[in-house]
Amino acid sequence: MLTKKDWILIKKISFVDFKLRFNSSVLGFVWSLLNPLLMLMVLFVVFSVLLKSPIENYSLFVLLGIVSWNFFSVCTKNGMASILNKASLINKVYFKKEILVIASCLTSFYSFLLNLVVFFIIMVISGVSFHYTNFYYFIPLFSLLILSLGISFGLSAFYTKFRDLNEIWTVLLQAGFFLAPIIYPVTLIPGKYFKFYFLNPFSRILTESRDLLITHSAPSVRFVLITVVMSIIVLLVGYMIFKLREPSMVEEL
Amino acid sequence: MIKVENVTKKFKIPHENRNTVFESLIKIFKPINYEIFNAVDNASFEVATGECIGVIGKNGSGKSTLLKLLAGIIRPNSGTIEIKGDIVPFLELGLGFSGELTGRDNVYLNGMLLGLSTKEIDDKFQDIVNFSELENFIDTKLKNYSTGMHLRLAFSIAIHAKGDVYLVDEVIAVGDAEFREKCFNVFLNFKKQGKTIIFVSHALDAIEELCEKTILLENGKIRYFGNSKSIIETYLQS
Repeated sequence: MLTKKDWILIKKISFVDFKLRFNSSVLGFVWSLLNPLLMLMVLFVVFSVLLKSPIENYSLFVLLGIVSWNFFSVCTKNGMASILNKASLINKVYFKKEILVIASCLTSFYSFLLNLVVFFIIMVISGVSFHYTNFYYFIPLFSLLILSLGISFGLSAFYTKFRDLNEIWTVLLQAGFFLAPIIYPVTLIPGKYFKFYFLNPFSRILTESRDLLITHSAPSVRFVLITVVMSIIVLLVGYMIFKLREPSMVEEL
Repeated sequence: MIKVENVTKKFKIPHENRNTVFESLIKIFKPINYEIFNAVDNASFEVATGECIGVIGKNGSGKSTLLKLLAGIIRPNSGTIEIKGDIVPFLELGLGFSGELTGRDNVYLNGMLLGLSTKEIDDKFQDIVNFSELENFIDTKLKNYSTGMHLRLAFSIAIHAKGDVYLVDEVIAVGDAEFREKCFNVFLNFKKQGKTIIFVSHALDAIEELCEKTILLENGKIRYFGNSKSIIETYLQS
């Protein structure tokens, strides 16, 4: 298990990587704020001006989906490569390798939090008022973080051996983008498929987020609990696979 | 104290590389042919606290593998390794150094990777900077450092890491004569403080001066273990 010292190292590595990510660009971290803003403009033109969607706040609705999905895909992709990227470190000094995966996921999470801040500002400007359900958003946010971490663990465990996993995962992510209700509402899915549709924890997390933040309709406690449990299971399974593969990782680098 | 008993480390060297899911799938029924290479072969030795042991041998004789095993970076296939005390790995200097960070930031990152806490680095920071003689450049980005400055900073952090067992791989064979002298004195000092040092090097004169006892490795096996002077002579004659 991780000690306090390990967590301090995780914090340090994730902060340093976050700082380095924006270091070489002129606008620095402003980019991660501008990104969702520019995306919203595109979405607004496409959905509200060109397609004239009947759903209220549709561009906000899609923006939350895209921002969340971006986090999921960036986090898992970077998490997968985190061991290989720091090969020079683990070849030369002993420390728990999960530190690198967790730090990498946190780095992506910081960008996501910045994106969310912009999202909230846009939300208020668009006239969606604050509501007590907003406070419960931390539950799907937490679920999303541990889901992404779990998948990162599982992927990074095999990436040292199978280097084409990156290409495979990119294709799967592309499929996932259309399988989850990111650019379309869940209501588009016929009711009889709901059971299968909500086997995907990401679809559940996104549905909860939108309910809590945009439509202010609280999802059922049972639905939320199942999502949390699903995410925790993904994390535990991913971590177990990672631990099993850990001893042989160094030799495969 | 270090106690190594019957430690063997085997590496599988495959005749072909299967690095992708794709390859593994199409050749799923074709077994991989590989050779087994004993990098460290049934090694046993003991080092008492405060001893300084040299490790010599030709390239590929298993010196670095032995050190990696001691540091816990790789695990042995069989045998046991027991080490009492904290390990400071000198396998490479400047771990995690990033050119985009300032010298100061790198000191903290590197120090933490070597097991120091933030507070300990705060306390030792001035000493680290003084030893590296980089007072004026500590807030400069590392990418603007010369190789020598880079090295001085890295070495300076490493020697301020606290520990009881130092695993040193060839690191003092770098830098100019003056700096080498300075590094050498640091290790002499460690010895006086009663630290245990395992010293892998091709610099035989340094080993003779620093270490009472030396291990001579040959194809992963411990050929001789004993008085440095006589073993170095045997090594030079072979």
